[in-house]
Amino acid sequence: MQIDLHFTAGRIVVPPAAWPSREIGACLEFQGIVREGEGGAAVAGLFYEAYEPMARRLLERHLREMGARHPCTAVLFIHRLGFVPVGEASLFLRVLSAHRGEALALLAAAVDRLKQDVPIWKRSTPPAGL
Amino acid sequence: MELQLLAFAQARDLFGFSSCTVSCAPGDSPRAILQRLAPTAPLAHLRVALDAEYATWDTPVGAARELAILPPVSGG
Repeated sequence: MQIDLHFTAGRIVVPPAAWPSREIGACLEFQGIVREGEGGAAVAGLFYEAYEPMARRLLERHLREMGARHPCTAVLFIHRLGFVPVGEASLFLRVLSAHRGEALALLAAAVDRLKQDVPIWKRSTPPAGL
Repeated sequence: MELQLLAFAQARDLFGFSSCTVSCAPGDSPRAILQRLAPTAPLAHLRVALDAEYATWDTPVGAARELAILPPVSGG
C-alpha cells in the first residue's frame, strides 16, 4: 500500500486525484473541518501542533497494520499545523482501493486511531512559543 | 550523558519550556529526570516518549537522545 504523509503550515491544497492502476474502484476522501463551537465557546479557529517525527512514524505503522486488515492501494494523509480558521480543513485523507468496503473501513479506522495516540494537539488559545 | 527534553502543548505550559538539555545517567527514569527539574509537576495525565516511541515513566532512558513529554492527543 502506498502511503503519503504530509504536514503543512499553510492551507491544505488537495492534490488532483489520479489512479495508480486500472484496478482502482473506490476513491474515498475525508476532510476534518474546524468548527466554531469547538470546546463549547465560539472560536475563530484552532491552533495545531505535532511531534512530527513521532507522528509520522506512528501513522505509517498504524496505516500498515490497517492496510493488512483492510487491503487498499494508497492512502494520502495531510494534516495542517499552526492556526486553522473556522471553516477550513485541518485534516485531509484520501483512500484508494479496488472495492469500497476496504476503503470505508480503513478510513474510519485511520481517523479513530489518529485520535488515540498520534502526537498531534489542538487548542483554542495560541501555545506559548508558537 | 546529555538528553534533549521536548514538551508539547499543555506540557509546554506546565514545564515552561519547549526544549532543553539535561544531564542524566542511563539508569535514570523519565520520572526521576522530570522530578529533578520540576518536583511538583503532575505527571499522571501525561505520557512520555523516548526517541519518538512511547515509553513508561519508569523505563530507564538508556541510550535515548530525546525525551518527549506528551499531553493527551487531540489531532484531526
